[in-house]
Amino acid sequence: MAEKKQGRSPMVMLLKHREIGLALILVALFVLVGLRNPAFATLSNALFILEDTSIMIVLAIGMLCVLLVGSIDISISAIMAFSAMTAGIVMKGSLNQASVQQMVDGVMQSVTVRQGTPLIWLILIGIGVGAACGLVNGVIISYGKVLSIVATLGMQYIIYGLSHVISDGQAVYRKDMPDAFYQFSRTSLLGLNAKVWIMLAVFLLLWVLVTYTRPGRRLYAVGSNPEAAQMSGIDARRSTLLAHVIMGALAGLAGLLYASRDTKITQDMAMGYEMYVIAACVIGGVSVSGGSGKITGVVLGALTIGVINNGLTMMRLTGNSEFWKKAIQGALILVSVIMNVLIQRAHTQQILRRRNI
Amino acid sequence: MTGAQKPTGRIPGFLRRREWLLAVLIVIVYFVFNSQLPESYTVVNLLNQSRVYMVDVGFMAVGMLMVLILGDIDISVASIAALASTVMAVTYNAGQGLPFLVSVGLMLLVGLVCGLINGLLVTRFHELFPMIITLATQTLYRGIAYIILKDQSAGSFPSWFSKDLGYGSVRILGVEVPLMLICILAVFPLYYLWIHRTAPGRRMFAAGTNITASRYSGVRTDRLKMTAFVFNGVMAAVAGIFLCSRTGSVKYTIAAGFEMQAIAVAILGGASTSGGRGSVVGLLLALVLMTALKNGLMLLYNDAFILNLSIGLMLILIVLVPNLWNMYRSMRTLRRQRLAISKS
Repeated sequence: MAEKKQGRSPMVMLLKHREIGLALILVALFVLVGLRNPAFATLSNALFILEDTSIMIVLAIGMLCVLLVGSIDISISAIMAFSAMTAGIVMKGSLNQASVQQMVDGVMQSVTVRQGTPLIWLILIGIGVGAACGLVNGVIISYGKVLSIVATLGMQYIIYGLSHVISDGQAVYRKDMPDAFYQFSRTSLLGLNAKVWIMLAVFLLLWVLVTYTRPGRRLYAVGSNPEAAQMSGIDARRSTLLAHVIMGALAGLAGLLYASRDTKITQDMAMGYEMYVIAACVIGGVSVSGGSGKITGVVLGALTIGVINNGLTMMRLTGNSEFWKKAIQGALILVSVIMNVLIQRAHTQQILRRRNI
Repeated sequence: MTGAQKPTGRIPGFLRRREWLLAVLIVIVYFVFNSQLPESYTVVNLLNQSRVYMVDVGFMAVGMLMVLILGDIDISVASIAALASTVMAVTYNAGQGLPFLVSVGLMLLVGLVCGLINGLLVTRFHELFPMIITLATQTLYRGIAYIILKDQSAGSFPSWFSKDLGYGSVRILGVEVPLMLICILAVFPLYYLWIHRTAPGRRMFAAGTNITASRYSGVRTDRLKMTAFVFNGVMAAVAGIFLCSRTGSVKYTIAAGFEMQAIAVAILGGASTSGGRGSVVGLLLALVLMTALKNGLMLLYNDAFILNLSIGLMLILIVLVPNLWNMYRSMRTLRRQRLAISKS
């Protein structure tokens, strides 16, 4: 075949790297909404979307690990609520309030200062509780041989129940939060919000883990062929466990960010969030049957959902677009998932044609 | 799957069959709660409360079982119920719009169309998992209900619908049995015959166990999947009918979260999300068990979260414990064999 050597036409490149295609969709969405509402396509709004989506990106990265080994976790929203609630109870119990005279805008005012457990402890508690939940999930799935969807569905009920039991039905509000925790999701550094920095840190860490380290590569091996992985000396159960612990820890961290952002911790916090996270992964090209998916794709997938959410508000479709948002969101998720399939089919066909079959 | 698993264990014997395990659990749960609350936790009370805990989730679980047997899953059922109920309430428009039975017919049609869309997407895009597709349609269907109803609620159904069907009962052998309960119980014998005793029903088990093998042996697997998803959609709409008659009004959030309950009941009854397993008798027993447990916990704690906690625990344990038992047994046999080899 003549074109065997120079088969790197732009189309082939695009099909080979699905992330590029997704990025193009993202840019197109951005331009389309921007044409309708110029305030959308600005740098500050882009940063806002990034900030708004960073919690979902953190969760989606964790979900990537779980999906890679061919497992799934639908208990993440419950884990978020539970770890935030545990941290919430700790901060509520250790709270010291004091009224302090302070200069605010040049006027002396009395400001309430709330102090309590240092933020770093709260974060460690949240991550620890999340990781523990992930560990339980992982043990039930890998050593108990329960199907992941059944196990995490059950765990979802159990963990939501537990967060209700430990909180005794009481929510945690702004008045119960130390200032440090309130500022946790509001501080900026070099123009970027703390959530974005945390997201970037998680991204870098997991990117290195998944792409360059042995435990990370094992996730792919176990997901694409568990028997082959087992034969070549990989403990599939341990990899599954690792993936679930990572997911749990990230869900714990995300739960704290979510709580700090919404300044409210309730027992049913973030209910239904897991579905958006799974959708973000699938849009990002992760296979639910395991073994394939890239961390960059996942980030782009989550950003797509973020842009859709933000764009729908900015589009001002009808007098009250709020009512249309949900339906369009569902339709767009469906469309982007189907587009992914069609691109993949075109790719497979091209490979077959090149092989002259 | 009835009759598929031969009891091989020595001690637990018949307990290895899910149906018997559930039956024993029902008796235990009943007597435990009855001893705690001798006045309020009775058969009469259970029958009364079956309206709340058994009927609407039950209809959804009936549809879900077929989808699960085929190895698929449908997360959009609760949204289908919400959309169908919304269409019914809006077209009836408190007596100003269409005749009531016509709008109920329209409701079933909505369920059918939603199921058809799910089925078409699942069979046309084999690469996508049904979970992902129905995840998207879940948002879509409820979103359409939201567009129609906004944040209003609609209702004012005819009195025979909300009174007689919703809270009416029939006296059988001196016990008041709710009309709704009779409706759902009537479905089970027919459903049993369809799933366990006809060729199309058996083909579903075959397709769920090994879809490629079934396709090569001439089973039209896509058609089976379409049947399952359409049936599931219609059953979701039927669940919506009973839900409307019980609650008397429709909001777009109606039936939120019911899909997980329906899946949980079907799995408790012996179905598996990987397909090929499931039993109608098990489903019925699982529904009764859930009703008995939920009712007792509600009387004791009056707390939905504790209720869910116990259901989650039961769901995991009922799958996990037999697995652990099997593992323990196989490990023991292995050790014995090794011992025998080393002795000889």
